[in-house]
Amino acid sequence: MGASSSKLEKVLGDQFPEGERYFGLENFGNTCYCNSVLQALYFCVPFREQLLEYCGQKKPVAESEENLLTCLSELFTQINSQKKKTGVIAPKRFVQRVRKQNELFRSYMHQDAHEFLNFLLNELVDILVKEAQAANSNSGSHTSPEKVVGNGATNGLANGNHKEPVVTWVHKIFQGTLTNETRCLRCETITARDETFLDLSLDIEQNSSITSCLRNFSSTETLNAEDKFFCDKCCSLQEAQKRMKIKSPPRILALHLKRFKYIEQLGRYKKLSYRVVFPLELKLCNTTDDAPGSEAEYSLFAVVVHVGSGPNHGHYVSLVKSHNHWLFFDDENVEIIDESIVQTFFGSTQEYSNNTDHGYILFYESLDQKK
Amino acid sequence: MVESPFADSSSIPSPSPMATSTATNPGVRTHFKTPEGRYNLSREKTHSPGIPHYSLAAKVITQVALAHLKEKPTQSSTVSGGSASTVGGVRFTAARFLGAGNGSRSLGFGGGNGFTGRLSSNKSPTASNAGGPVGLGSSPLTSSYDGEGTYLIFNVGDAILISDYYSQEKEPIKTIQFGNANPVCHHFDEDAKDGNDLIIGLNTGDVYIASLRQQLQDSGKKLVGAMHFNKDGSINSSRCTAVSHVPNVEGLFVAAHADGNVFVYDKTKDSSGDAPFPPVKDAVQFHVAHARSSKSNPVARWHICQGSINGLSFSRDGTYLATVGRDGYLRVFDYAKETLVCGCKSYFGALLCCSWSPDGKYILTGGEDDLVQVWSMEDQAVVAWGVGHNSWVSAVAFDPFWEAPIPDTGAGEVTTYRFGSVGQDTQLLLWDLSMDEVVVPLRMAPVSSGSPSVLNHQAAGWDGAAHSVGPLRHAPARKEVPKLAPVMAHRVHAEPLSGLLFTKEAIVTACHEGNLKIWDRPGHGDNLLNHTPEVPATAVSKDRLLTSGKGGISHLRQ
Repeated sequence: MGASSSKLEKVLGDQFPEGERYFGLENFGNTCYCNSVLQALYFCVPFREQLLEYCGQKKPVAESEENLLTCLSELFTQINSQKKKTGVIAPKRFVQRVRKQNELFRSYMHQDAHEFLNFLLNELVDILVKEAQAANSNSGSHTSPEKVVGNGATNGLANGNHKEPVVTWVHKIFQGTLTNETRCLRCETITARDETFLDLSLDIEQNSSITSCLRNFSSTETLNAEDKFFCDKCCSLQEAQKRMKIKSPPRILALHLKRFKYIEQLGRYKKLSYRVVFPLELKLCNTTDDAPGSEAEYSLFAVVVHVGSGPNHGHYVSLVKSHNHWLFFDDENVEIIDESIVQTFFGSTQEYSNNTDHGYILFYESLDQKK
Repeated sequence: MVESPFADSSSIPSPSPMATSTATNPGVRTHFKTPEGRYNLSREKTHSPGIPHYSLAAKVITQVALAHLKEKPTQSSTVSGGSASTVGGVRFTAARFLGAGNGSRSLGFGGGNGFTGRLSSNKSPTASNAGGPVGLGSSPLTSSYDGEGTYLIFNVGDAILISDYYSQEKEPIKTIQFGNANPVCHHFDEDAKDGNDLIIGLNTGDVYIASLRQQLQDSGKKLVGAMHFNKDGSINSSRCTAVSHVPNVEGLFVAAHADGNVFVYDKTKDSSGDAPFPPVKDAVQFHVAHARSSKSNPVARWHICQGSINGLSFSRDGTYLATVGRDGYLRVFDYAKETLVCGCKSYFGALLCCSWSPDGKYILTGGEDDLVQVWSMEDQAVVAWGVGHNSWVSAVAFDPFWEAPIPDTGAGEVTTYRFGSVGQDTQLLLWDLSMDEVVVPLRMAPVSSGSPSVLNHQAAGWDGAAHSVGPLRHAPARKEVPKLAPVMAHRVHAEPLSGLLFTKEAIVTACHEGNLKIWDRPGHGDNLLNHTPEVPATAVSKDRLLTSGKGGISHLRQ
């Protein structure tokens, strides 16, 4: 292993980015789903910065107070403060914590990287919200209740007992807003309902682009027959058209390609190896026209790749862009790759192909919101 | 986390017709309809079964070109130095790759043709191989075409393949193998007076130029009589991504590379003298360096951009050179003056292909934003976005043979253009662009003057790319650009598409894996045996061409 890391240093030479660390992560028995997502998140710079900051603020935590957030920020700090530039780290404590916290990940079975990302971000949000609320109720009685900032989480309690949702730094980084517009075909009234998201799960088609998948995500659906819409204005069930557009694009856009599909005839999940091309720069085609930053340009910085032909087995690796270099992380191994290699992870045009390495979760960073 | 509303819901109709058929049924319909009638699949071409399937994967993408060779009716005169029965007169092709189109100028036939003594490795031709030159598959140069031959040239894996355009034979009549290297681009010019009409660029950076006729007359599987440039990547080791003859300048051709450089070569100069160019100082800055010695070759290096150049195209008269690349910019250069004239950024992502209109007024580009973009030279702006592909656009071309229906009212000069595009969604799309329909949005000020609608950042990913973009425009905003819808969309192959060309009788499509399909135009279904492709084709295109007044410029540099 050491050999390959020093090789990485040799390849980069003088170009090795100042202060950057490229560390592989040890696999504790099918924990590649976790490692691949961790690498993608580590190279999500605003996310990493928050975690390093969090660790800096906190006193060492007792084992009893340990949670996923403390474990993750310790892990990131551990990587970041390595003397060597490359090497391998065992994310033992973090993985133990994940297993303690969630039954699903306790087994040594192959797990879904997207489910893990989902679980991790939501856990972090819960922890941060609780901390912010605790900080609020503590400080609220002593100081002015108007503005309380704990850990970047703002505004727990507003005036009176009306409770506003806490916006944590996880929200600030990953959260976007969708608006779900339903137009009654009788009275033409448009009802809009907003909902937030931390990532988008997209249906995929053979030989398509991520832009096309996003367009389909926001295509108009007609509600009729059994599935009519109750229009408040008409006070009755009516035919309606529904579509979902992005109202507020997130700073970090995480796109999950739904490669694991339940096939009714088979009674089980199947992996779709479809070729879905994704560009290194992207603009969202499905934003509402008046949305601020609706034409913001995104840049791809990480791809979690599923390797294998079926849903219940296989492997996860990740591609990460750091300081204009692309790196390939496969558990302990880290390699530098050419940008053009990214396109070998688009998928296959044929169902049975030797190429089983397919992009599964894409991470794009908004260039407009980049500080 | 939000699921798509259509997640796992089988009640939602599939949004595109290709969705269902692709997964289950590889069958592709053999005709498609357009306002002018029905196009029928006439014949297919593919690589020889000798090329193993696994060697075709992803790395090499098939490009296709049409080449027309006219042989002298009887035996040719003996020309000094080599191949006898060659290069009698090279005439118009029905179409050329990259939309350079057919020649719109008169050519001197017969005079001064023939190989010069440069081709030292020429085999002496014999009567026997002139008659049945290839000996693979069908015999290509049978006399049913009065000695003429029209060929499709395409690359697959490690080979350049040549198929007889008019025959029904699926397999190529000639396979030229390159062994360890892959040919990735090529360009044929029927006007090459010295007979070296075929340029081939390799993934190793090597560039060859050879005579197509000579290849057809040789029975081996190797390239014969070729001049070899940038041997083993000695001058530039990055992949050669596009090659082209320089129109109207005899002897010069260009080769674009994956590191953002274009090299200008002179066929009349020996390839042995190496031309050390100084290292590129500023990767994002356009800069032309000339060879220090008048003997060395290449004669010039144009550093165009950071990242790969993915395509290039000369305007038909050779005045302008357009390039597209990884950084998403279309750039238009005045070739003789070696200056950047204009250009703009894609909506997002890399641009993959570009092609001129026959009259030199418009440039089509296609890329990773799934859009076909129409750039107007006159307006210096994007005048239309073709919206209809479900994936990246890999080739674009104007149809120089299509005739616009005569409008009801004779009043007004409305020019209608037909163009086509093929994409990685396996679809061929045809578009009609009427210039009265396209209302050019308020002329956008050049980026340097800071129009408020202009996005203020550079192509993503290039840190420190805050250079002056000069005559280049930033990406237009969505609502600034008029949208076009295709007049026809058809899934033509099972694999992503990579090549498109228009001939007088047909549309030729190519897919990544090296299969070609020839779609006969309406009313051209039964013309295989009695075609007369050249003369009418020329006449039509001459009529359609508005002489730009720039023809005949001498581009030989002082």
